[in-house]
Amino acid sequence: MLRASWRSRFTSSLFVLPYLACFALFLLIPILYGIYISLHEFELLSKEHPFVGFQHYASIFTPGTYLNSLFFNGLWATLQFVIYSVPLLIALGLALSLLVNALPRRIRGLFRTFYFLPYALSASVMAVIWLMMFDTNAGFINSFLAKLSLDPAPWLTGRPWAWIALVLATLWWTIGFNMVIFINALNEVPEDHYEAASIDGANAWRKFVAITLPSIRPVMLFVLITSTIASFNIYAQPFLLTRGGPGDSTKVLLINILDQAFIRKELGSASAMAVLMALLIMAVSVVQYRLTYGRKE
Amino acid sequence: MNMNRNMNLKKIRTALLVLIAAATAAVFLLPLVWMLSTGFKNDFEALAGQMNFIPKKPTFDNFVDGLTGELMNVPITRWIFNSLFAGAAGTALVLWIDSMAAYALARLPDVPLRRVLFPMFVASLMIPGVLTFLPMYLEFNQFGLINTYYALVLPYTAGAFGVFLLYQFFVSFPREIEEAARIDGANKWQVYASVLLPSSVPIMVTLGIFTFMGVYNDFVWPLYATTSPEMRTITAGIAMMAHGSYTQAYGKLMAMTTIAALPVLLVFIFGQRSFVRAITQSGIK
Repeated sequence: MLRASWRSRFTSSLFVLPYLACFALFLLIPILYGIYISLHEFELLSKEHPFVGFQHYASIFTPGTYLNSLFFNGLWATLQFVIYSVPLLIALGLALSLLVNALPRRIRGLFRTFYFLPYALSASVMAVIWLMMFDTNAGFINSFLAKLSLDPAPWLTGRPWAWIALVLATLWWTIGFNMVIFINALNEVPEDHYEAASIDGANAWRKFVAITLPSIRPVMLFVLITSTIASFNIYAQPFLLTRGGPGDSTKVLLINILDQAFIRKELGSASAMAVLMALLIMAVSVVQYRLTYGRKE
Repeated sequence: MNMNRNMNLKKIRTALLVLIAAATAAVFLLPLVWMLSTGFKNDFEALAGQMNFIPKKPTFDNFVDGLTGELMNVPITRWIFNSLFAGAAGTALVLWIDSMAAYALARLPDVPLRRVLFPMFVASLMIPGVLTFLPMYLEFNQFGLINTYYALVLPYTAGAFGVFLLYQFFVSFPREIEEAARIDGANKWQVYASVLLPSSVPIMVTLGIFTFMGVYNDFVWPLYATTSPEMRTITAGIAMMAHGSYTQAYGKLMAMTTIAALPVLLVFIFGQRSFVRAITQSGIK
């Protein structure tokens, strides 16, 4: 019996082993290794990697240093994008889902597909399409404005146009994800709640505020967290559309981290910035979670 | 009379909604239609800044030159092959290792450390990619695997979403069927391969489509994990073109972009139901 159980445990563990190996090699070890690198002077091309302790971290938090401005300017650009995009991603995502659900049943699927289609595109395909749409001279949008006798705008090179362009492209690309989540949540709201409200004489707005919104509260939180995390990770849009410009105004944190690593080959300080960025993202999602669920306890 | 009026009001309301929906759909589809249309224009017409959706002198040259590699030495067919290969290999690996792990964690109570492993896997879904990106690059660099298919495939196998998704499915699988097979003398491997796998085809398809699209569309990792032209994925390749000498050659660029988008758009349209299911289930935690 004991021997059989030892053999049984061995064969059972064989099933988990392949995934566990991948998990260790491409997630656990990189996490530990990344922290190790951040504590060293780690130039990509040099053989020696002297230990420097928390020097990179200290430098990031010391005003006036290069790392300090690299990290906090990048963070400020990233935060601006989060502030501009997240409320729209949630509000318009919900609006689209309400629109789809209000349509006759036969055409719901079709319109859901139309709004969701851009989500299937890769970041570079999305960016190249919008590079052409926003082109100052030949772009579709400025040609359209000219038809309306409006002035063309420097979409990708001017302020505040660059931010508007980045947010518009992002909305087009990713809002279908939020819409799908919201459609599913709306379909889960029990129909008899609405019927009861109708009998009580509630109008559509009243039903939305008193029944729909409270019912989809957990889903709102999920969308809020995923949208915030995605916006924090913004990279492809400014990297390909505005190239971080005008000036350095759309140079987001991820651009600065990867430039530090791959252009200046300073992996130690780049890793320190990456560790801080990861901690920040995790902290934000914990705070959002607490603010929504913690209050009740 | 009153009922008639209500009916009419309802009809008007529906018509108005459909109109709003159609206008919104036009906005969403316009950039895609414009991409397709521009791909058929010569560079002169593409840069003319006119809003003609139907090219005045339609040409296939952009597509033909792109696919035959005559566009400034850009091996676009190789890029597409790389993306399709990485997508297929990554998906196959993920389906295999995730389903085995999920089966063991959900159905085999004597897996060592089971109580630690599953929560650890689920918790890893919280880890932002930026934390592992640079060390993973160094890892592959030190083993000389940058610019290889290993780099384009292996990192995706660490994702825990598949284990999580399949675990939920296997846990709720009826015990009687499994026990019947055990009484018939089937061992763990046989139960996994001939009882659980065949009944999990729909959920495996869901995970497969989700994984394939993720690998095919990934952008930042393949951009840095490949440097030689022939090892680029189509996503990274298009990004390099957009940064390079093609910046203003919109006709050519849009033809390439259309070719790049086509495979994954087809997978998406045909697998949409499954893809939506995967998204929805990622939201239920």
